[in-house]
This record gives sequence, structure tokens and C-alpha cells, in this order.
Amino acid sequence: MSVVELENVWKVFGERAPEAMKAIRADGIGKAEVLERFGAVVGVKDASFSVEEGEIFCLMGLSGSGKSTLVRHINRLIEPTAGTIRIMGEDIGAMKTEQLRATRADKIGMVFQNMALLPHRSVRDNIGFALELRGIDGYTRAQAADRALETVSLHGYGDRLPSELSGGMQQRVGLARALAADPEILLMDEPFSALDPLIRRNLQDEFLGLSQNLRKTTVFITHDLDEAIRMGDRIGIMKDGEIVQIGTAEDIVTAPADDYVADFVAGISRLKLVSASKIMTSVDAFAAVNGNVDLSAGCPEAAPDDDLDTLVGLSTGSDKPVLIKSDGAVVGIVTKDTLLRGLQGGEST
Amino acid sequence: MSGAEQREIDDRDVGIETFVERAEGYYAPTFERVQRGSLPRWHVNIWALLVPWAWAAARGVWLLFWLSLAIDVLALVCLMQVVKFSPLLAEAQLDAAANSTLVARYSTWVTNYGWAAAILFIGGRFWMGSSANRWYFSQYSRWRIDQAVPSGVDMKRLILGLVIVAIVAPLTTYRATQLRLDERACFNQMRAGEAVGQLMPSYGAADVTALLTSIDADIADMQTRFDALDAIDGRTEAQNAERSQLRRDVRDLSREREQVSDFQTISAVDRFDCAFIDDFPTLARLDPPADVTYRRVPNEDAIAQGDEDATKVIAQIKDPVEGRKVTVFTYSAESIDIGINKLRAQYAGFFDAMTNVLRQSLIRVEVAFMQTPWPVVAFLFLALSWAFAGKGTTVFVGASLGFLALFELWQIAMQTMALVVVSTAVCVFVGLPIGIWMAKNKYFRWITEPILDVMQTIPSLSYLVPAVAFFGISQPPAVLATVIFAMPPMIKLTALGILQVPESTKEAALAFGASERQLLRKVELPMSIPSIMAGLNQTIMLALSMATISAFIGAEGLGAIVTSALGDANAGKGLLAGIAIALVAMMIDRILKGIRNSFSRI
Repeated sequence: MSVVELENVWKVFGERAPEAMKAIRADGIGKAEVLERFGAVVGVKDASFSVEEGEIFCLMGLSGSGKSTLVRHINRLIEPTAGTIRIMGEDIGAMKTEQLRATRADKIGMVFQNMALLPHRSVRDNIGFALELRGIDGYTRAQAADRALETVSLHGYGDRLPSELSGGMQQRVGLARALAADPEILLMDEPFSALDPLIRRNLQDEFLGLSQNLRKTTVFITHDLDEAIRMGDRIGIMKDGEIVQIGTAEDIVTAPADDYVADFVAGISRLKLVSASKIMTSVDAFAAVNGNVDLSAGCPEAAPDDDLDTLVGLSTGSDKPVLIKSDGAVVGIVTKDTLLRGLQGGEST
Repeated sequence: MSGAEQREIDDRDVGIETFVERAEGYYAPTFERVQRGSLPRWHVNIWALLVPWAWAAARGVWLLFWLSLAIDVLALVCLMQVVKFSPLLAEAQLDAAANSTLVARYSTWVTNYGWAAAILFIGGRFWMGSSANRWYFSQYSRWRIDQAVPSGVDMKRLILGLVIVAIVAPLTTYRATQLRLDERACFNQMRAGEAVGQLMPSYGAADVTALLTSIDADIADMQTRFDALDAIDGRTEAQNAERSQLRRDVRDLSREREQVSDFQTISAVDRFDCAFIDDFPTLARLDPPADVTYRRVPNEDAIAQGDEDATKVIAQIKDPVEGRKVTVFTYSAESIDIGINKLRAQYAGFFDAMTNVLRQSLIRVEVAFMQTPWPVVAFLFLALSWAFAGKGTTVFVGASLGFLALFELWQIAMQTMALVVVSTAVCVFVGLPIGIWMAKNKYFRWITEPILDVMQTIPSLSYLVPAVAFFGISQPPAVLATVIFAMPPMIKLTALGILQVPESTKEAALAFGASERQLLRKVELPMSIPSIMAGLNQTIMLALSMATISAFIGAEGLGAIVTSALGDANAGKGLLAGIAIALVAMMIDRILKGIRNSFSRI
């Protein structure tokens, strides 16, 4: 079962949003026309995706592409103009206030780009905030907060004020706050964007390690493709409020859905992303070009899942092409030519 | 990421020719010279030199339009002074020896105004002609950024400009040629007009001449009857009465005839002068509102039925004064008076109860301040300042308390404190919720903001009067007046503090499941404490500054000393009491600041 499920979610901003939505439905008018006729802005356009349990789903797009708006639909900080959002099978749009608050407090943790910690509370009280809102007693709160602090390796900082911590530490507190109530879902709204590159890298690694242990279903927003590739099991690319492509990093790099995505991934190193199976030529095709070469002797071997980095290592040690073997049978061949072309991002023929 | 971000190309037409529309051949090189800084100061724009306001209006250089209009009108006014005083000078010079002072005065005026007119006109024109191009260029620069800035030559603007000139220049110039109007002239004119207005219908006359004829006939008729009666020796009682009645009638009618004939002789020029260049003419004279007094009296019927405390409101209407007409201002003021009177009588119970609550709480607080032994109060003050505001402030507080003690103002100062404490408490209890509501509701904010501005700017003396009307003279209305004056900052800063809480912080709280109330209690209020404390501080200061003014309606304390010193022209007494008020204010301010700082550290 998908933990988070969005179905045809639309968000139109403006006083005449309902009218605009009707017109969009009826006449299929575009963004510009909606703005002109109704003074309304289309923030999210027909977005659908689902996130499986334990998965990290990255939403990537430039600023203004609607990714932050979209993520706020998941905990209903923003009401959709149309569409359904289900959290663990429950329609969040149909929830009554009390139930919604309970869902937010117990099931969904959120981390913000600007941390949004409460400056007048200690780190511990900040982390226990969600529990406090649920009426949990102070002792239990403190225990949970200290556990969460340990998880983000900030043990012993509970009595500081947020202003006393560095940006990276503050964001760890933000993460600890989201984890304290042990929610099933984590929403991360550009959590590391405001940090400097080194600390960002650090936190990314740490978060990856954490999520391997905790297996939280995560929706991760970023404007940085490298980050999306590092963090995401799957990536959704947004443009102008629309999700233009959803897939694994490899899918997106090797088969961009349109020019926009292609433009985006043009500069990405394919070494660790692309697997042998994406670039290999079949045995027959190889034979057709090179004649019947004896491939049994001294050819390096690799598996279809091995990335280009591995293939380069194998290929440089030998004059012969690399055999891609699956279950003992040769399923494809990678010559130096194909390898180089694959690195460059050319066709896999 | 190349190409991922698309830029909108700026394709607006910002050429000089589009901007100037006409005479591009002149403006293009001139703008270039302005930019290069090589446009000489003596270079003038010929149109701006000849008709600067017309040029500026047509080109939409409105600031230059108003400046040039002002300079030209000023020059004209100076010139008109010369025109006005020259004949007077000539007249005085006919007998120069007798009128030497007059001659000297007039000739100085004529010379000075003459020079001023010449300098203003020539200098002003040159300045406008040579500045025009620079101003026009800066307008061009603004237009390139924002195309809504006027450009080109526009006939509509020119006509608008000329209409403005036509409204401003002739009337002002004409006024400058006139000597001061007779103070009573316009009033008499108005009275004459009213008399004609009343007599015209009663005589059924078609015009003023006909009216005069009929009045004359009436007077002559009455005079004849009077003469006939006068001639009788040994008049009866009735005849005597009729005779004196006739004499009175003749006198009254003659006076009215005078006014009517005055009205006929008023020249068109005088009428014009009174209507347009004197004081704003009285627009309407109304019958005054019915003079009603409302009184609460025992209700006899109900008392007869056993309800001993029953009362009712009765209205007493006074006969109106014959023929009294009032202005709109007087009419409104009297109506408000009557309204207040009625409200006071109608809801006496409510006002009395409110007065009582205020008085009781004041008495309690006063007792707390005044009957707590002075060493305890002094110790508390010192301890508070020591704990929150540090050594320097403690010394200051000690010195101030010493001042109060030395000048034997202690008890009186405590009275002032009690007044301030009660007023401030009311301000907080009423102002805090209003401030919160204001922050939460945009429409309420729109309504409240102007009301708060009025509360702060309306002179406090002018709401002391209604306060007295409703609550009588004593401490409670003083508290109320103080509350009205001192509450706005409490409300405003509470609202400001809550509005200042970052959206993202509120969003985070909501994302973790906060309800509206939790959001307010756990996020918004704690985060606006510095702002609320600042509001509290201001409220206290304002309450103290009202101490003197509320003493006018019976507030006791240091303010009363100042007020009585004012009455006796007793400078020393007033000054010492004033310093005492300032010291009390500063003590409270410093201690509160200390408390505030220790809050914001957390």
C-alpha cells in the first residue's frame, strides 16, 4: 500500500479559483489565460504520484515550480482546489479538524528550509513541541526529545536556545523535532538548501544513514539535481506546477522525458548512475559488426547492474570488450566505444 | 542548467522620440548634453521661459508646473501691491508735509514690492527656462523605468493646467489689489439678505424695489395713525397702549426697511468680495434643535404600586428663542449635547455602576499604595530595579524616591501611581484582546486602525468634557480619559507583535498539529512579548502624562498640584510637582525596560 498518494491534485491561487478551475476543466485553458481571465495563478497542475513505505521520493524543480506548494498539500497546510490526497489510505481532505491535527502531530513530521524553530524555547522544548500539542506530559516529552537529539547526534544540546546553535545544528534540531513523535511520514522542504556545501553533504550522508535504519517514508524537496540523485529512490521533476517526469535517477538521466529535463541532466556525471544494461549491445549486434570474435578467452566480466564506473575499471585493464553476464549467460557486450559513448550520454546502440 | 531558466526580453520602446513626441530634434541633442553635463546654465528652453506652466502642464512635468505657477503668482501679487499702494502714495503726497510718515511708508512699500516683483519675474522665468530641460530629462529617466510616468505632449493635460491657472491666478491677483475688507461688512450683508428673504414673502413683493415701496406705505400708514393718536389729549388706556405699540412697530419696520435698502445698494463687487475673497461664506443657518432637558425623577405611579426605587426619565422642552438661527456647527454641537444628556439620563444605572466599579478598584489600589508603609514600598522599588535593571538604575530610583520624600510628595505620588496602575490595568485587560483580534481579523483591523488614530490625536481636553457629562467630576472619569488616551499603543503593539511572527514559524506549528488556540498561546503570544512589553511601557508613560490633564476633572495626585499651581500662577510649585511626575515616569520606565531586557534574553 502506498503511504502517500496524490491523485490529480490541482491548486489554483486567487479569489476566483473555483471559476478558473471550472474553466480549466471545461475548456482546458492554459496558465496564461487563467491569469488573464480570472487573475488566478496555477500553482500545481494535475499532480499525481504515490510514495511507497520506506521510500525517499524527491520532488525536484526550480524555485517557483510549485514543489513547496505541492508538498504542503500532503499535510493539508494548503487545501487543494481539486484532487485527492491519501495518507496511509485515508483521504486527508475529508478529515475533520481534530482528526487532521492528530494526523499532523502523530503521522507526519515536517522539516523546513528556514528551520522555523521557536526562538523562545530551548532545543528540547522545540523538539517536544508536537508531543506537547498532543498533551503528552513533560517527562515523557523530555525523554523523547533526548532520544531524538541522540538520533541526530546532538546529544547534550537540549538546554540551549536555537539562536546559540549553528545553521547545520539548527537543522538537525528541525529534523529531531520532526522525528520526535515517531511519525510514519517525513516531509522535507528543502531542508539542506540554506546550508553551506560541506555541512549539506554531511547532513545528506547522515540523513541517508538514518533513513536506512528508520525506514521513514519521505518526500524530499530540493532544487538541486545532485541532491535529488543522491537522496531519492525516485525523483519527480516539476516545472511550472506540473510534474514532467517521475522515475529513478537512472531513468531520468538516460531517458529524459523532454528537452527541459534533458537540459537539466546534461551536466550530471553518469559514472555512478548508469548501469551496464543501459548501454550494452546485444551479442548478435556485436557479431554483426565485428564478425565472430572469440569471446571466451580473457574478457573481463560484469553484471547488468554494475555502473559505468565499474566498467571503466574493468575495461582499462584489458584490450577486449567487457562481457555482461546474468545467471552465467552472456546477455550483452560493452566495447570501449560503447563505454565512451555511454559516458558521454549518447545513444546506447 | 543553461536554458532551464528563461528570461523575458524587455521589448518596451524607450526611445527619446517616443517620450517627447514633438520637437525631438531639439530634445534629443539637449538630453545628450544634459547627460554629458555640458548643457550651459544659460541655455533656456524657450517655451519654458515664455509660458512655463503651460509647457510644464502639456509635458506633464507637474512639479515644475506648480513651482512656476507659484513663482508667477507671487510676482503678480507683488506687482499688484505696487498698483494698490501707488494711488495711496500719490494721495498722501498731495499734502506731503502733513503725511510724512504715510509717504515714507507707502514709498518704501512701493519700491520694495516693485523690486520683488521684478526679481521674482525675471529671475524666476530664467530659472524655469534653464531648469526645464534638466527636469524633463529626469522625468525621461523615470519614464524609462515606469511607463506610467507622463510622456509626450497631451492636450488634456494642457487644458487641465490652464484650468488650474484660471482658478488660482486671477482670484489671488484680485485679492492682492484689495485693501482689507470691513470686518462687519460681510456680516451686515448676510443679515440684510436674511431680512429681505423674510419680508419678501410676507409682503408678497415681486422684487426689492416693490418691497421697499410697500414697506414705505406701511410705515407712512402707521405714522399717520400714530400722529392721529398723538394729537388726542387725554387718551384712554387702550389708546395709549395702541400708541406705544404703533411707535414700536414703526421703529422695527424702519430698521428692517434700512436693511432692505442696504441690500438694494450692495454693489456687485462687494457681494463678490464677501463670497470669494473674504472668510468662507456661511452656507446655512438653521432653526436650532429643540432645547430638551432630560431628567430622571421618581416614578410616582410605580412607587404607588410598591416599587420604592422606581424612576423614570422625563423630558422638559424649553420654548425656542424667537427668530434664533444657528450655524451648522452650533446646531450639531447642541444636538450632541442633548444626545449626551439623554443617554446619561436613560442609562444612569449603567454609568453609575461603571463609575462605582472604577472608584472601588481605585480605592483598593490607593489603599495598597498609600497604606503600605513607605519603607516597604521604597524597598520594593529598589529591589525590583536591582534585580532587573542593574546598579545605575537602582541609584537613580533611590535618588528619585529621595526627591519625593524630601519634598513631602510621597503620599501624593502614591496616589498618582494608583491612578496609573488602575488605568494601565484597564488598558491591558481591554487592549490585549482587542490587539489580538486586530491581528487575527483584517476587516476588524481596517475599522480599528483609524479609530485608534483618532483616539491618539483628538485633544484630550475635548473628551474630558463628555467624560464629565457621563461620569461626573471625580477620579473615575479621570481613569476613563486616561484609558482612552493611553490604550492605543497597547492595542497597536500587541497586534504588531503578533503580525510580526514569521509565517514560516506559524506554518511549522500548524504542521505539527497546533490548533488556533495553541498557536496563539504557545507561539504567537510568547514571540510577541517584547512588542507587548514595549506597548505596556508606552501605555504607562502616556497614562502618567495624562495625570496633569485629568486633574482638571478631579483626579488627585501630583497632577492636581500642577493644575492648582497653574491657577495660582505659582511657578515653583508647578515645576517641582512636574519634576516629580517626570521622576515617577522615569523610574517606572527604567524598571520596565530592565524587565523587558531580561525577557528578551530568553
